[in-house]
Amino acid sequence: MSAAFAAIPKTAPFSEEEVDLLNRVVGPASPLQRAWLAGFLAGVETGERTETQPAAAQRGVEPLTILYASESGNSEKLANDMAKDARKQGFKPTVVDMADLDLAMLTKAKHLVVIAATWGEGEPPARAARAYHELMGEGAPRLDGVDFGVLALGDSAYAEFCAVGHRIDERLAALGGKRAVERVDCDLDFAEPAARWIGGALKALAPPEAARGQPAGRVIAVDFGASKPAAAANTDVVEAEIVEHVNLNSSRSAKETVHLALAFDGPAPAYEPGDSLDLYAQNDPAYVDELLTAAGLGNDGALRSEFIAARDVTTLSLKNLAAYADATGHNEVKKLIADGRAKDWIAGRQLVDMITDFPAAFDAAGLRALTRPLAPRAYSIASARAEVGDEAHLLVSAVRYQAHGRARKGVASGYVAERLKRGDRVHVKLKPNRRFRLPAPDRDIIMVGPGTGVAPFRAFVQERRATGASGKNWLFFGDRSFTHDFLYQLEWQDALKDGALTRMDVAFSRDRPEKTYVQHRLWERRRDLIEWLDDGAHFYVCGDAKSMAKDVRVALANAYADVKALAPAAAEQAVATLEREQRYLQDVY
Amino acid sequence: MTDEPSRNERIKEASDYLRGTLVEGLQNEITGAITEDDQQLVKFHGMYLQDDRDLRPERARKKMEKAFSFMIRVRIPGGVLTPAQWLALDGVARDYGGGTMRLTTRQTVQLHGIIKSNLKPTLKEIDAVLLNTIAACGDVNRNVMCNPNPYQSRAHAAAQDLARAVSDHLLPHTPAYREIWLDGEKIAGGEEEAIEPIYGKTYLPRKFKVVVAVPPSNDVDVFAHDLGFIAILDGKDEVSGWNVTIGGGMGMTHGEPDTYPRTADLMGYCRTQDAVKIAEAVVTVQRDWGDRENRKHARLKYTIEDRGLDAFRAEVERRAGVKLAKAKPFKFTSTGDRYGWTQGDDGRAHLTLFVQSGRLASRQMNALREIARFHDGDFRITPNQHLIIANIASGRQSEVEEIARAAGLLAPFSGLRRNSMACVALPTCGLALAESERYLPDLMTALEARLSAHGLSGDDIVIRMTGCPNGCARPYLAEIGLVGKGPGRYNLYLGAAFDGSRLSKLYAEDLTHDGIVAALDPLFAAYAAERQSGEHFGDFAIRVGFVAKTGNGADFHANVRAKAEHGRTVGGTGA
Repeated sequence: MSAAFAAIPKTAPFSEEEVDLLNRVVGPASPLQRAWLAGFLAGVETGERTETQPAAAQRGVEPLTILYASESGNSEKLANDMAKDARKQGFKPTVVDMADLDLAMLTKAKHLVVIAATWGEGEPPARAARAYHELMGEGAPRLDGVDFGVLALGDSAYAEFCAVGHRIDERLAALGGKRAVERVDCDLDFAEPAARWIGGALKALAPPEAARGQPAGRVIAVDFGASKPAAAANTDVVEAEIVEHVNLNSSRSAKETVHLALAFDGPAPAYEPGDSLDLYAQNDPAYVDELLTAAGLGNDGALRSEFIAARDVTTLSLKNLAAYADATGHNEVKKLIADGRAKDWIAGRQLVDMITDFPAAFDAAGLRALTRPLAPRAYSIASARAEVGDEAHLLVSAVRYQAHGRARKGVASGYVAERLKRGDRVHVKLKPNRRFRLPAPDRDIIMVGPGTGVAPFRAFVQERRATGASGKNWLFFGDRSFTHDFLYQLEWQDALKDGALTRMDVAFSRDRPEKTYVQHRLWERRRDLIEWLDDGAHFYVCGDAKSMAKDVRVALANAYADVKALAPAAAEQAVATLEREQRYLQDVY
Repeated sequence: MTDEPSRNERIKEASDYLRGTLVEGLQNEITGAITEDDQQLVKFHGMYLQDDRDLRPERARKKMEKAFSFMIRVRIPGGVLTPAQWLALDGVARDYGGGTMRLTTRQTVQLHGIIKSNLKPTLKEIDAVLLNTIAACGDVNRNVMCNPNPYQSRAHAAAQDLARAVSDHLLPHTPAYREIWLDGEKIAGGEEEAIEPIYGKTYLPRKFKVVVAVPPSNDVDVFAHDLGFIAILDGKDEVSGWNVTIGGGMGMTHGEPDTYPRTADLMGYCRTQDAVKIAEAVVTVQRDWGDRENRKHARLKYTIEDRGLDAFRAEVERRAGVKLAKAKPFKFTSTGDRYGWTQGDDGRAHLTLFVQSGRLASRQMNALREIARFHDGDFRITPNQHLIIANIASGRQSEVEEIARAAGLLAPFSGLRRNSMACVALPTCGLALAESERYLPDLMTALEARLSAHGLSGDDIVIRMTGCPNGCARPYLAEIGLVGKGPGRYNLYLGAAFDGSRLSKLYAEDLTHDGIVAALDPLFAAYAAERQSGEHFGDFAIRVGFVAKTGNGADFHANVRAKAEHGRTVGGTGA
């Protein structure tokens, strides 16, 4: 039985075999069959206990609001996981994306859980920014009588680790909320601490046993309605074979962007256009060797293998530096921290720099303790199954730069560009992104995707071609050089010919002295752009978060201001309205 | 013979005076190309669509179209540029042309690698210094060449005046250029006579090239062009009038003996005031008599062969209302440049630089930009792809020389290298069958070793290479001519006259690098041992029988020896 039909989650209180058995029956069952089964099981339950129990009480009655602020999808996934657990324990959970949050909602929440990611240098995820700033602002409502708990996600490689979670936690308390559970800050290896926190939080927020009338453990909640059953895609780690590996940039380009086509032994994970794949990369053996040699552990073969395959051996954080100072007692490192220079020092540096610059006697366990598990790297899928069948295509840009006298490479992109070739096998996992989906087929779309940001739009265009969607499709693409960096140029030419693309505008920044970027093209085309949006078009942005996504947003606001003769605040409101209507969607990194 | 006009004739006819769909084509940003018909029309505007052939193998795999870009050729009558114009061309080359400039065999500058979206900015910047690219290519009168030797100041001034006058008079009048490239207003309608009084709707059957020569230098290769004027000097080095030559041309096609290079005929002599009228009449007769069905038979040289010189002359005289006198005597001594310092009649100083194959890379461009920033004379591109810094202020001469020397523009060169030319060929030229500009320097290094062994390093020997038989570097007028046949393969031609008055003949086919060196080495040895006093290598090759003498175009392909005979003749019949 295909995993796509799995209706009973693996987290259900059954053995794996039992889950499989149940799924064989429940999976293909019609809605009617399922409803009957639900009623029957409820009846069996009451019959056994020979107590009369109103059916409604089987479902949770205790409301629980789970609010999440997600960029990469981790917080969102945790929120949904928590809702499932909560339901089993008699809560009636409501999961709310901060993008959609109306603050007034919070005042009515009895139990509130916030799962918040911190992005970049202490910023909230882009789509949560509006509600976040409202919450932090003067107009935020009082939250007396609200019990809350905050789970913070972040990356300790950044100085402002989990800052958004901190601030929300403090703010909720300041507004009169009662902290029912202490905040926990999670790093990239969040799965275990987050699961623990969720378990603890549900206990802490639970009403007194008596009020619920029956022990929570006796309720079997079959999770029918959470999402359409067919969409329960396989998000397990699967193996794939590389069937195409080609650098799309010309041999004259300074860039290297690898088009990677993956084929699966069985059906491809059931991805939708807009989804990502997590790629499990391996470290550069040369880097690991350098690190181990610097640490005096050059002949530890087991550690070497583990480091290459499974540990984050590049990230250097303040936490690492402090731990190193403690473990080695290195005076210079201590001084660095004491003088407040540590933050500046780690900027652009990696673990190997610390160990090379401040050598100290070290053992394998000590070095290992400085590393984190190697997290997979998510790449937007650049294909649609409707067109490529059981393949998935990724677009991977090789990151290479110089810092502190060392040539650096991106871990995952270096793995793809330098060590993988056609015929090799890789491990990937589907990472759905339901916040970045195509609209109804008759809706127009505007896609802004410079560089590797064009990946999901290749999927969009493929999907719309294959499904014969009637909406118009307008793509903005940019890169450095027209001649050497025009990714998928021939495909776009074909798409314009066959109508899968209605329009395409390009901006190449290094073709002439004055630099042109996609936001300049948006501005030049502002009349048509606003006309499309007025006609209901959805606006998508994918790619660089640091500057491009911000510049595009500014360009769009300026376009509204100019075309509709709006004051800046009103133009900003127009863009904010698009966001609230979920017609301004971003997948930025 | 069919009555069907060639495809290009139909394209011209339908183009609305060279507009075609170029405006629309420029707006399509997703391709670097333009339509096939527009590719023909854009030549009249001075540019060719090309692609980087080095990159062809990888493009489709990388899901990219060919690496298209344009070659832009500037129209520079007589090759004379002001320092401001030089700086402007240097600037566009840096900004849009990959940081390199190419001096051509027809005294102009070519920029390569200009992508479509940069065409308009490039042409606007060129226009801002009163230059343009109109008619630098296409079936029209192209850049008018002129002997640039500033040391014959008075004669040169007269020749330059004539070159400009002919160039201006034969310029296409269509407003298409300004409309398309300079955002000029569209000028609609008009009678054919009013829009293009000389050319009409379909312009000429084929390209048309005019040169002006000042003896004793034949640097312009007057016999290689459709129309030539040779200055006839009086006793005081003043120009008294002009001999007129017609029907020269280089292009041919491998394996098609109906196509051949041809040296021009002397048609007569005219006074200066009649020269432009003669030029216009030659153009209109060729417009009406030239072959518009077969483009390989459309140059003026074939019209002359088909109709006869006398008939052509009579029609020119009738249309011009001018009777040509009998050609006057003149003497050419060479086709090369005079390197180093020269002094003009007027006492001003000029420095002729050596630019290998006309290619200016960043080192040379930086040096010339430095000079252009203070120089108040002019820059003159020679017909041999070199450059003269002319009319240098007296206080600046040593400074100019130092800068040029540091950039390798004055280095000592062998007699062979001093007299070398190569066309661009790969990777940009779509016609190239083999390398030329990128390869000739290496070949010469190998040949110089052989020449040195025979004590010939200092001797002037003209060597020219092209990547295809169309003849941009005029290889059939070189003492050693190498014409690309396929990758790494060349046909070797020998026996042309040092003064550019006689064509060469095929000596060996399909030679590789080693084959070329091996074929020439014994000939050099024989030349060193057996030449007569002052005898040039081309004349020697005929006297000793390496090749038969070519009379004119029609017998270019005649009397070619079989390959097997090569070698036996060396040193044979000479004594």
